[in-house]
Amino acid sequence: MKASEPVVHIVDDDASFLAATSRLLRASGFAVKTFASATALLAQREDDAPGCVLADVRMPGMSGLELQSALAQSRNPLPILFLTGHGDIPSSVSAMRDGAEDFLEKRGPKAQLLGAVRRALARDARERESRARQREVRARFDALTPREFEVLGHVVRGKLNKQIAGDLGIHERTVKLHRTAITTKLRVQSVAELTRLTDEAGLFTTSAPTCP
Amino acid sequence: MSWITVIWSMVASACLTLAVIYCLVWFRDRRAWANLFFALTAASTTALAFSELWMMRAETPVELFGAVTVGRVALFVWLVSITWFVRFHLGAGRLWLAWTIAGLRAFALLGLVLMWQDVSGRALTSLPHVQFLGESVTVLGSVPNPLAPVAQFSTFLILLFVTDASVTAWRRGDRRRALMIEGSVAFFLVAGLGLAMATRWAGIQLPGTFSLFALGLVAVIGYELSRDVLRASTLVHELQVSEAGLRETEARMSLAVDAADFGISIWDLKRNEIWASEKWRELFAFAPSERLEFSAILQRLHPEDREGLLQAHAMAIAGSNGGRYQTEHRLLLPGGAIRWISCVGRIEVDATGEPVLMRDASREITALKQAEQEAQVLQREIAHAWRVSMMGQLASGLVHEINQPLAAILRNAEAAEMYLQHPSPDLDEIRAILADIRSDDERAGQVIDRMRGLLKRRALDTRRLDVGSLVGDVAALVRVDAAARQVKLNVDVPDDLPHVRGDRVHIQQVLLNLVLNGMDALNGARLEDRGVNVTARIDVASGAPIVEIGVDDAGPGIPGGTLVQIFDPFFTTKPNGMGMGLAISRTIVESHGGRLWAENKVGGGAVFRFTLPIAEDAASV
Repeated sequence: MKASEPVVHIVDDDASFLAATSRLLRASGFAVKTFASATALLAQREDDAPGCVLADVRMPGMSGLELQSALAQSRNPLPILFLTGHGDIPSSVSAMRDGAEDFLEKRGPKAQLLGAVRRALARDARERESRARQREVRARFDALTPREFEVLGHVVRGKLNKQIAGDLGIHERTVKLHRTAITTKLRVQSVAELTRLTDEAGLFTTSAPTCP
Repeated sequence: MSWITVIWSMVASACLTLAVIYCLVWFRDRRAWANLFFALTAASTTALAFSELWMMRAETPVELFGAVTVGRVALFVWLVSITWFVRFHLGAGRLWLAWTIAGLRAFALLGLVLMWQDVSGRALTSLPHVQFLGESVTVLGSVPNPLAPVAQFSTFLILLFVTDASVTAWRRGDRRRALMIEGSVAFFLVAGLGLAMATRWAGIQLPGTFSLFALGLVAVIGYELSRDVLRASTLVHELQVSEAGLRETEARMSLAVDAADFGISIWDLKRNEIWASEKWRELFAFAPSERLEFSAILQRLHPEDREGLLQAHAMAIAGSNGGRYQTEHRLLLPGGAIRWISCVGRIEVDATGEPVLMRDASREITALKQAEQEAQVLQREIAHAWRVSMMGQLASGLVHEINQPLAAILRNAEAAEMYLQHPSPDLDEIRAILADIRSDDERAGQVIDRMRGLLKRRALDTRRLDVGSLVGDVAALVRVDAAARQVKLNVDVPDDLPHVRGDRVHIQQVLLNLVLNGMDALNGARLEDRGVNVTARIDVASGAPIVEIGVDDAGPGIPGGTLVQIFDPFFTTKPNGMGMGLAISRTIVESHGGRLWAENKVGGGAVFRFTLPIAEDAASV
């Protein structure tokens, strides 16, 4: 299987259910890997393989919800789809709040399952792409000096050169030099473009600016 | 008339009268041999008296010798009969001695022949005469008799014999009679014969007077025998009194029997006659005058109970429990109604072991049985309700257990449908799918069967049970629940454990209850302690071998002082507990003839143990 091909990771302690679901998904054209427990998945999956996870909520050892939080903190946060034998309301609420892609009944319609898997894979592809672009954009910001980064923060908030010079206690001409360096390093033409790029990199979205 | 004639005639007639009377007594009661010999003694005394009188009046030697002959023969009879009288009266004395005495005495009679030769040669004038009671009487004078020592020796033997018999009787406790016989025989014999011998040795000429002494002995013995008559009359009186007492006892007995509502029947097996009290006939629905046959009585019994009664009879006849038996059986009355009877009986057998008499006391216990059955039904209802409530606790786990295979079946079926849409379907894969579907269906079915078994309302069904499969089923029921509660369930049941006897569902209920309690006790325990162990072993230490099943946990244990209380109804230590589980479990175990108890483990935690009887035909497994 090619490294780029998305894989559906199925996790269930019931071997028979695992085999059946894997058969159905394979017949539907998906690449599938099966795991008997959450810990097995965490230990055996490829670090950056695309795809999604289809996991039973209730399992001995590490439960589905624990797997969800472990995945979210990992470098490859695959979208997770939960399966449950019965409408377990407290756990489904908690799972959805923590960003589960979907919460499915084990005996739900086939179309629902396949649709959810497709959506999860699409979301993974989307997120993977945005993560890649974010990484690329952030790499550009990495070239900025700490002072340039500081100036950038003020520029993005729409401050004038004079205000920036006053705030930082430097000469207005120095601010201009920094701005030129920033636009050159980030390869942008306008302030509007600069603002979009910082948004894309996920910078300055919260009140406190983060340093790369 | 002379004194001599008067006295000797009186002796003769008195003794003759006694002889006739006692002869008649013997004739009426042939076993009274003592009476016959006494009659002989008395009759020979008569003959003695007659011979003595004849001797005194003898005119010729021939006449004298005739008298002597009669006298000697009479004395022979007298001595022998007194010997045998003692033998029979005291029931003691050595037989060989009695026979020796008779033989010696008979031998001594030969002396008469010698005497006859001597006397026949003399003239009458040579017969000595002496003055006796104012009359001149003939005496025998000194006649040589070489056999006299034999006669004397036999007399000594008689004394020996009587003494020996008296000692035996005395030792036996018959002291008065022994003393009376020994004293009188010794006295009169020694006095009578002693006087005769003494006068002869002293050379004093005296006529025979032995009959007077013999009369004395006859009188004493007559008195002694009359005591028996007196005693018989006393006995008759006592018998009357005791008969009256017996009637009173009978009346009291029948009062008690009536009060206790007992019906009595007695079956004489030799004559095949069955007598039964009115109450008994009423119980068994027989008319008062109807002739009773055992087969008809057996027909009254409920067909299922007949074998049981016959077995109880057989065991009683074989001698178990002293011929007693006790049964409870149902009667199927002519109207179709059922009547429960409790019966206590006893069978008597003869020396060959054949039953001869059978008595039984029967009582109706229908109301008791009904109450018992109602209580049992109620107990079953409670147990069932508790089982349903326990299954409620397991419900979410069990739903998962069923859902899992059903979901697998669904996905497999869908996958198969998709494979079939291919232009060249992978038939091997489809076959594998169908096999999986079948096994998942079986899996779901097993869960449902286990659940349904416990939920069903049903009658007790006692049979041989394999402890391993019993425990395995319970473990399967709680598996999911245990996993969700992060409790490890360890089962350790040896493969060679004998089968037990009991109701599968009820014993599973007890086990389930104990396992769930164990899991509850682990709430809040550390992960490494979260285990419930089910063990089973055979226990031969306490008499008949039994199987002991234990459920233990590493929880906080049972608070001190409540090890017994926890089995009380409504006693609970859980916030939402009803306090019925252990009470019901104990009732169930006890109704199986086992015991359920709790202990605290040394290292902490509690263990519950219960015992079950081993199935009879599994003891050697």
